[in-house]
Parts: sequence; structure tokens; C-alpha cells
Amino acid sequence: MYEAEATADLLLMSKPLSAPMSKEQPVEAILVRAVLAGERDRFARLYEMYSPMVHGILLARVPHEEVEDLVQDIFLHALRKLHTLRDAAAFGPWVAMIARNRAMDFYRGSHATVEITEQMAVEKPVSRSAREILDLIRSLPEAYRETLVLRFVEGMTGPEIASRTGLTPASVRVNLHRGVKLLRERIGVVARP
Amino acid sequence: MYDDNYLWDRSGKVDLELKQLEEILGTLRYQPRPLEIPASIRPGRRWNFSPALAIAATIALVALALGILLGLNRRQIRLPDEVRQSLPAEKQRDTSPKLSASPEGPKQIVAAKSTLQIKSRHREINRNLVARNPVAAGNTTQPELNAAEQAEKEQLMLALRLVSVKLNFAQRKAQGAPLNTIRNQHPMG
Repeated sequence: MYEAEATADLLLMSKPLSAPMSKEQPVEAILVRAVLAGERDRFARLYEMYSPMVHGILLARVPHEEVEDLVQDIFLHALRKLHTLRDAAAFGPWVAMIARNRAMDFYRGSHATVEITEQMAVEKPVSRSAREILDLIRSLPEAYRETLVLRFVEGMTGPEIASRTGLTPASVRVNLHRGVKLLRERIGVVARP
Repeated sequence: MYDDNYLWDRSGKVDLELKQLEEILGTLRYQPRPLEIPASIRPGRRWNFSPALAIAATIALVALALGILLGLNRRQIRLPDEVRQSLPAEKQRDTSPKLSASPEGPKQIVAAKSTLQIKSRHREINRNLVARNPVAAGNTTQPELNAAEQAEKEQLMLALRLVSVKLNFAQRKAQGAPLNTIRNQHPMG
């Protein structure tokens, strides 16, 4: 089980909630309702659960040094707008969409962008640093970037990525498979047949 | 066939290349940091509109609109002042067209009723919006004139025509149009 979620579950069990507990209800839904009912500290648990996902989504799009602050901004924005979330159980896909939109806004400003070229991609075939590989992932088509970062940087499994982002497991599996194939080609490792 | 189970959920045979990627990229992993929520930030208020509440509100609005409409209609069919004054005090208070067996003023009540009927008929048909046939309306009968009056009338008409011609002449001169043009005729051929 994902670490942050396990922590959140433990915290949930340690303190009674004002909302009725139900086994069928996802943890997120209970937490969202509690926050809306006035228990603002419950939002910290949602933050613990979803900050790695938001971090990964941003890392696939914006420079590494900007990501930390953006994660905080996105969660503060989510807290302000939490009342607009219709389905409390869909907190994950909702906050993921906020993160994607914020990443787009980041480039709408005057921030300079560095284009990854094919030449840069083939300069060093093996033994690359994390930043270099991340840049290569960013050079992949958008559909694969986010899934690969969540899988390899944040350490989430395919099913976890699907449940957190709201994507279907089949889409995640395809994105992982094709993304890794492309990444291998870019890194210089011969792709498997 | 390529087994992507390790890629999917880390089950199955370990893919060494993928494991190496995990180790390298894992250094960029999110480092948990507490969320600092300013005291001023609070979740907005959620407005829970249930469908039943929305329906009730709609019905209430429709009822209110109908009430206002009926109230306006009642005001419009009030009796005219002269009829009201002729009615006894009790009738003056009640302006609704009720018929009662009042021995004091049956004639006035009948008059009020007929006036009300005429009034309501006028209200039903807006005469200003209906095309009128002057022949059918019977307004074509003009008073007969004697010889002197007829002569005065003709003189007046002639004077009006002269004034009209002079005004037209002045207007064309002011506009710079040639004075001998024949107007209101289309070119031939």
C-alpha cells in the first residue's frame, strides 16, 4: 500500500470523525466532507496522500526547482475551492487537473523554456544523471511523461497511478509500455523486440 | 513476449534496466514537507440545492407572479369614479362587480354593471391596434356647407397649395438641386 495513504488511514483510525464512517466510502470522500464541515486539519491528510502525485505531475512539466512551491500553492488553491468539488471521492483526479492547469499557466508567463533536442538526447547514451533522464522523459509525448514520472520518480505502481489520477488502468498500462519503449530508445539502450 | 509485469506493479521477473531507472530517478522523489495553511484560507461555502428545494422555489415564484398579475387585473377593472360616487357607501368600499338585491339603488347597480361590461369589452380589444374602416365606422358624414363657407374653404385650400409649392421651391434651392427637374418620374427607356 502506498505510504502516505497508510499514514492517512492510521490517522483516520486514531481520531473519530464527525462524518459517519463507511467501509464503502473512499478515504478521500470522508476527508473532503470533514474539511468542508469545518475540520480544516483533515486537509493535511489529503495533502499527505496526494502531494507525491501532484509533485510527479508538475515534475513532468515544469522545472524541478519550481515544483516544491507549486505543490504548496496547488493545495492551498484546492482548499479554497474544495466546495466546488461535486464528487468528494474524485479528489485525486480533481487536484491532478488543477496541477496540470497550473503547469500550463506556468508557461503562459514569461518563464523561459529549454527545448530538448534530438542531439542532446543522443549525446550520452549510458550512465546519465537523474536530471538528464528527467529531461529525456519531458521530451516524450505528453501522454507518457506524467505516467513515467509517477512510476519511476514517485515510485507508484500502475494500479496506484490509475486510482489516483482517475485514468483507466488500461490507459496507464499502455502509456507505461509505450513510454518506456520510447525512453529506452532515447537513452540509447536497445529496445526489446 | 516481453513481460511488463514488473513495469506495471513490480511483480514478476525484475527488469534490471527498469530497476536502475527507478534508483536513479528516485533521487528526485517528493520529499514530504508540511503544508502551511494560512489562517485566512478556509474552504468556501457549499450551497446544497436539493431538487425538491429548487422545485418548491419555482412553484413559489410562479404563484407570486400569478398573484401580482391577478392583482393588476383587478385594479384595471375598477369602476369609474362617477359610477362609484353614485353608489352607496357600502358599494364604494367593495369595488368588485357583485350583484346584490339592494333595494336602495338597483338602477345604479345595473348602470355600474353595464359600464363595467363596456369597460371590460374595451379592455379586451385594443382599438389602437385594430385597423379601422372609416366607412364602416360611419364617420364619413361631413356637415353640409353653404356657398360662402364653400368659397372660404376653397380659398384656404388654394393658399395652402401655394405655401406648399413655395416651400418645395425653397427647399430645392437650399439643397442646390436644379429647379426645373421633374420629380417623381422614372427615366424612360
